[in-house]
Amino acid sequence: MIAGPLLLLILPLAMAGIVYILLRWKSLSALLAVGTALVLGIVVGTLPLDQPVRFWGGREIALGEVVTLFGRELILDQADRMAMAFLFFTSAGLFFLAWHSAPHSLLFPMGLSMLSLLSGALLIRPFIYAALLIEIAAALSVFALQAEGGAPTRGGLRYLTFTTLALPGLLVTHWLLERYTLTPDDTGLLSMAATLLALSFALLLGVVPFHTWVPAVAGDSVPLAGTFVLTVGNGAVWFLLLDFLETYPWLSSHPRFISLVFSAGVAMVVVGGLLAPSQRRLGPLIGYAVLVDSGAALIALGMNSKLGLTLTLLSLLMRPFGLALMATSLSGLRAHSGGDDDFDALRGLGWKAPWSTAALIFGGLSVAGLPVSAGFVWRWALCRALAPSSPGSALLLLLAGLGVMVGVWRGLSVLLVRPRSPENCSVISLGSSESWLTAVVVTIAILSCIGVGLFPQALAPLVVRLVETYTFFTP
Amino acid sequence: MPTLVDLLARVSFLAAMPAVAGVLVTAGLLVVSREWRLNVIALAVQYFFVVLLLTRLIRLEVAAVKGLIGWMICMVFYLTERRASVLEQSPAAEGTAVSRRWPRWVMSARASFSLLAGLLVSVAAYTAALRIPLPEVPTDITLACYLLVGLGLLLIGLSEAPMQVGVGLLTFLSGFDLFYVALEPSLAVTGLLGAVSFLIALATAYLRVAQIAAGGEERNP
Repeated sequence: MIAGPLLLLILPLAMAGIVYILLRWKSLSALLAVGTALVLGIVVGTLPLDQPVRFWGGREIALGEVVTLFGRELILDQADRMAMAFLFFTSAGLFFLAWHSAPHSLLFPMGLSMLSLLSGALLIRPFIYAALLIEIAAALSVFALQAEGGAPTRGGLRYLTFTTLALPGLLVTHWLLERYTLTPDDTGLLSMAATLLALSFALLLGVVPFHTWVPAVAGDSVPLAGTFVLTVGNGAVWFLLLDFLETYPWLSSHPRFISLVFSAGVAMVVVGGLLAPSQRRLGPLIGYAVLVDSGAALIALGMNSKLGLTLTLLSLLMRPFGLALMATSLSGLRAHSGGDDDFDALRGLGWKAPWSTAALIFGGLSVAGLPVSAGFVWRWALCRALAPSSPGSALLLLLAGLGVMVGVWRGLSVLLVRPRSPENCSVISLGSSESWLTAVVVTIAILSCIGVGLFPQALAPLVVRLVETYTFFTP
Repeated sequence: MPTLVDLLARVSFLAAMPAVAGVLVTAGLLVVSREWRLNVIALAVQYFFVVLLLTRLIRLEVAAVKGLIGWMICMVFYLTERRASVLEQSPAAEGTAVSRRWPRWVMSARASFSLLAGLLVSVAAYTAALRIPLPEVPTDITLACYLLVGLGLLLIGLSEAPMQVGVGLLTFLSGFDLFYVALEPSLAVTGLLGAVSFLIALATAYLRVAQIAAGGEERNP
């Protein structure tokens, strides 16, 4: 009998090695990466936890079996199972897009290795090991973020730095909480643990003023690898935070928890909303859009209610749709501008790369939380939920979304500059130079984004089931 | 022939304030110097002093393994920088060869600033060690922890060059490790922290190679 948790750890790691060897065959390596992530997503999302399932050859897989590895327990519970399904499916989607946008990229093997480590971080008890596994995943991400033949990525280095700085807080918290169980009268230990946890998660989630790694990752690395870090890597951190809140209920009932989380969210929304429209490069613009998105998710968590938690989880599910589109657009446009995403370098490229430009429009709509997109679903619901109790925050959220859209609009106005004189016409060709495969891939991604935006009820039951597994908020 | 553990046992008389002073000097050198040979030697010596201090908190064998990981990291940095210096010998760089061969023994403005900042951080670390003692560790080790963490953070903040940031991260982690082994002496945590350090070294070495391959636009400042 194969224990499910071990399968989730070992299979992606083994496939990472195989994919790395086969990296020179881009379609084969990409399809293997997509297939592995997809199969594991289906396995973890559909197999029952309470009974083993027999597969071909008489082998059985017991997904819910508790495994002890080097004296540490690997436990797959309902919440983590859905979180991992999200990580695997998102990875499959990003690998699919990278097949065309970033072939031969180290994203495939490193992404699979990171999936194994992030799954381990969600499965392992106690949480102390989760912090170490996330740190190792961050170190591996540097290899994926670095573009072949490009200058060293500041994004990877900064991400690694901030993750390393977050490590001590998480590790020492574990020791403080163990001490607290021995001396329950010493409430100072709890306060210290709460402070360290807040600081560590602020570093990991890119809360202002620790946000500098977010625009750097988005703007200064392989776009889809950056998106992988900002959706899958960051998603694992979010689920780890929820696990912490579930395991230590005193944390969410701490008198300053709500105000701290809410203020952090508002600060991110304001900073992201102010800086996004002033960017002159597409990459950092995406980074600041992500900052607004994360801030909004924190505001939702700070509502301290089931509705807030539902919106937070919905934000995690919706973010990959818009972000993946923008990353695909950035990849396509960089390919046409010689690797530069400065507005000056992108002048008039919209006519050469119409599909990448279309991806930018729909991705921009989604990350800005505007209608007919995946991002609108939860952002509008959040604004409506906030309006009665905190109209100022709701207004700031709307303005930040508009700020992001202004940045995208500025990019679009540069991309769609038309030649005005016959001389310029000879310089800027009006014909598309993107392949039909790009058109197909981008069309699928755009339709998914719009489809989820128009029919959110397809994902809503999943989110509701996921919310049911967390009990730390009163209804 | 004596083993590494025997050698460490013989120099254990240094495992108090002399080791802390050694940590201060080596970490200070890392902050001020941009000469890679000196930096690799300083990092290797720093690991030696950290291992000496660790022997007071954990078993000698475990401390020796931590030291071996540290020296392997130094080897990675040495090989990377050696390769980088060979690749940097381009025709364009030959014009500046004379000035590189005969460095002026006058401190640059950057080095002076780094030295001053390092001194300030050291004073802050000393004050913190007196006022905020760390649990489960003696005062001199507390001071070493604060020095390593503070100077590591300074290194990270002063440069964006991959190797400087990598050395800063490793110095920071050494300081934290020195404290954390007293709280959690588990071998699994020791192994994972070792893996983290080694991967940080590999990642920064990879970025350094990418820097050279990209044409050395941002060579070491």
